[in-house]
Amino acid sequence: MKRLVYGLVVTALVAVPATAQEKKSGCFGTRVTFLDTPKEAAELAIKQEKLVFVLHVSGNFEDPRET
Amino acid sequence: MSALADKDVGRFLNEHFVSSFQKVGTFKIVGNQKQGGNVASYFLAPDGRVLHVVPGPVDAGTFLREAKWVVDTTREAMTASKGDGAKFKGAFRTAHAEKLKSETGLSVEAITWDPPESQGENDALTFRDPTGRSLAPKLPPPPIDGPDVRLSDAEFNKRQQAANAAPGNRMMDAKGGRRVAVNNQAIADQLLAAHAMVKIERVYGTVFENILGEKVSTKPVEIATPFPWVDREGNKLSK
Repeated sequence: MKRLVYGLVVTALVAVPATAQEKKSGCFGTRVTFLDTPKEAAELAIKQEKLVFVLHVSGNFEDPRET
Repeated sequence: MSALADKDVGRFLNEHFVSSFQKVGTFKIVGNQKQGGNVASYFLAPDGRVLHVVPGPVDAGTFLREAKWVVDTTREAMTASKGDGAKFKGAFRTAHAEKLKSETGLSVEAITWDPPESQGENDALTFRDPTGRSLAPKLPPPPIDGPDVRLSDAEFNKRQQAANAAPGNRMMDAKGGRRVAVNNQAIADQLLAAHAMVKIERVYGTVFENILGEKVSTKPVEIATPFPWVDREGNKLSK
């Protein structure tokens, strides 16, 4: 199990050029392409040999400067 | 955190990460004002284990520095561990302890082993709210030993002043009763010196409640947009 988990990490940083996202995505006014769910992001990260970035938000921001 | 709208941040994140978002809490109504609202940025391995977290909004320069630290440290830990998952975890936790030391002058001992985990909903180790629902546990950070003894007083004070100038600055007890300056990022590094490479569902409660002071009112849920004032393409929406 440890080997499997490590294998996922080991493959995560081999740089590959960003390609068109295969899943539904959007930038929501940022420069970052977001997929709809962390699960989709994890699946694509394994495929593209990248790491995963997850933004946790609380509240509905009234002030766009917050993000 | 206008960081995510910065082009260098966007380029770096899109090159090295696949990104997504979740909602973990709701705002409070105090009087007629909406209060609350916060963010935590998690950098994860593809299996959901936390490599790093940036608690709260930060500027683009800070965000980019933290994101690059994740990528560089992952590469170094991969090289050092030579395929051994336990060594990789240990290397990452040690890297967090070193980062804390270099940024604040404070020393913690990285914990490179994991305590027993709960075995399910009915396990005695599972935290619950008064209604019996299980909650994200509050993970104990390793104690701050105090100043790095290799630093001169002047250098330690300089790093403490820097820590005191960053978001979420506060005083915290170190061993021996000494009061030291920390900030949101320092507390995150302190936490991850013992809990890096733990699944995000075990870490987020500690980050949101113990570091950011927010109340987690829900397990992470998927939402249509992280930023309700814009649509998927970034067009501003009228209220």
